[in-house]
Amino acid sequence: MKPPADRAFRALQNSMLRVASLLVPGPRRSEWRREWQSELWHVRHSVCGCGAFSWPAQREITAFCLGSLKDALCLRQEIPHTREPAPRISGAPAQCVLRLCALLAVSLIASRLLPNVRGESDFTRYHVNPGLILIQTSSSTENFAPTISLALYRDWKGTRQRYFDEFAFYRNVHETASLPSRRLRGWTVTHASLNIFTLLGMDLPVEPATLASDSDLPVVILSDQLWRRDFASDPDVAGSVVRIGNQPARVAGVIPRGAWRLPGEPDAWLLESESSLAAHTSPAAPGYLIAHLSPLGQAFMGRGACVPINMRNAEDDNLDIFGVSFAGRLQDPRETFGFALLLALLALPAVTSVTLGESNYSSHRPSRKRTMIRWVFLAAKFLLVASIAYFASLDLAWWNSSNYSPLAEVGQFAWSFSICLFGFRWALSDQRQRCPVCLRRVSHPAQVGIASRTFLGWNGIEMMCVGGHTLLHVPSLPTSWFGGQRWLYLDSSWEFLFADSGTLCC
Amino acid sequence: MAAEAKLSHTAAMILQAISAGYVYGFSIMEMTGLPSGTVYPAMRRLERDDLIRSQWEKQSIADAEQRPPRKYYRLTTTGTAILDASRKRYPLLERLISTEEANSR
Repeated sequence: MKPPADRAFRALQNSMLRVASLLVPGPRRSEWRREWQSELWHVRHSVCGCGAFSWPAQREITAFCLGSLKDALCLRQEIPHTREPAPRISGAPAQCVLRLCALLAVSLIASRLLPNVRGESDFTRYHVNPGLILIQTSSSTENFAPTISLALYRDWKGTRQRYFDEFAFYRNVHETASLPSRRLRGWTVTHASLNIFTLLGMDLPVEPATLASDSDLPVVILSDQLWRRDFASDPDVAGSVVRIGNQPARVAGVIPRGAWRLPGEPDAWLLESESSLAAHTSPAAPGYLIAHLSPLGQAFMGRGACVPINMRNAEDDNLDIFGVSFAGRLQDPRETFGFALLLALLALPAVTSVTLGESNYSSHRPSRKRTMIRWVFLAAKFLLVASIAYFASLDLAWWNSSNYSPLAEVGQFAWSFSICLFGFRWALSDQRQRCPVCLRRVSHPAQVGIASRTFLGWNGIEMMCVGGHTLLHVPSLPTSWFGGQRWLYLDSSWEFLFADSGTLCC
Repeated sequence: MAAEAKLSHTAAMILQAISAGYVYGFSIMEMTGLPSGTVYPAMRRLERDDLIRSQWEKQSIADAEQRPPRKYYRLTTTGTAILDASRKRYPLLERLISTEEANSR
């Protein structure tokens, strides 16, 4: 039986070898440990031959084990000499793609974090019925105004129509609301007919049971902003009762941001029956009248933005009213971007040369695989630039617009067009300065000759690929015999000049 | 010869010890009086520079003697040539570690 001190020293010495072995490079570790374990056994056998515990002997063995740390460190210091040098990323295609991906990630994250932008980009999730028009006394397609009285709405709704098969009416009123917590708030409330959301065809996250409640109380739907501001994002808000003006109403749900595209920026929608609307609204009070075109009406309206409607009121007087399409408000932001992208592609030849400087004056050409990789790289840049343009234009145009704004839509178009145009221009000019073999940017520009001093001699800028694959000649003054840039492919006899010619970064 | 110029006295002592028959780490330590933290790293460098070569003892021999196998070192041709040159540079090297002493052990 060995004494505890002996066991403790053995454990310490073994631990020292084990810790030191962690410093040894992996491939050599097992053999290194085997040698030191073997040597340790022989040292123990030699120093403690009789088997009795002695402090000087243990000190000597421990000192021997301490040497293993120095040995392991020496082996570790040899790693940099044996390890392969890391490939340089500067100017490499991977670096370019990484930067574009980083920009895309930033713009994408911003579009998800900015609530207004998120509402606009999520707009496509909400279906809106086609064939809807706004009826008003003005022919303006941009500035919608509440011009139709409740009396006229009720008159139209009560009579048979040829061009319309359904109507909905709403008007925005600023009212004081009393919350369940007895706090008073000023809200912009849309008093709307019951069918407003079904006419629009909006799939709302509102519990049907709440809407179908046989309660006498009218239903109120909150905007996302109001729900966050006045109800602290309470998930159990549905079913609570609020008082709007003098009228109690039951909360049915919350409309997501960006779902409402009709004129006005209400905080809440109070859905009322015809009788309730008539009881709480003056017959002459102006509001918005939404109509759904019948098949005959759609054929008559065609693709026009505004059509005059001949109408007579109850007194048989002629009314000058117009049916205005608000299709622009229902336009998918992707359509706006798609149009801007098309225009940018059409305008691209006007701002830069669309050739890639493919001409060369040597017989050597890159392989088909290399050529394909080059085209894939260019396509990837175009794709990334277009994606960045989409999200960045949404961010820049909609971050400060809480609701639909024609100005923001124009802004989105302008930003999309600009980013696409100048992004594609950059992608082409960047591609022209990348070695066709390894796709790294050429560098070390050298001016050769001076245009004012040479008559027939070549003058321009020469750049070279750091991998030693190519030289790029760019003429200072394009001539009929040297109009554009040319690539000179270097053969293997140049390799000795370039240290990392074998390090391709594609 | 660049290697000859770089060979230190310690490295020459270790080469001389191996040449004299002290063919494993602990015996070299005992013979030269150098600590383990000096002997083993020096042997790694000598092996890296192809002056010595190592070889594990056969397991059957170690089993017969009821001990773990040892790693033995021997001089290469280059190592022998370098040691000869080092003996001229360090004349006391042979007297410090003589071959006869090793053979008598």
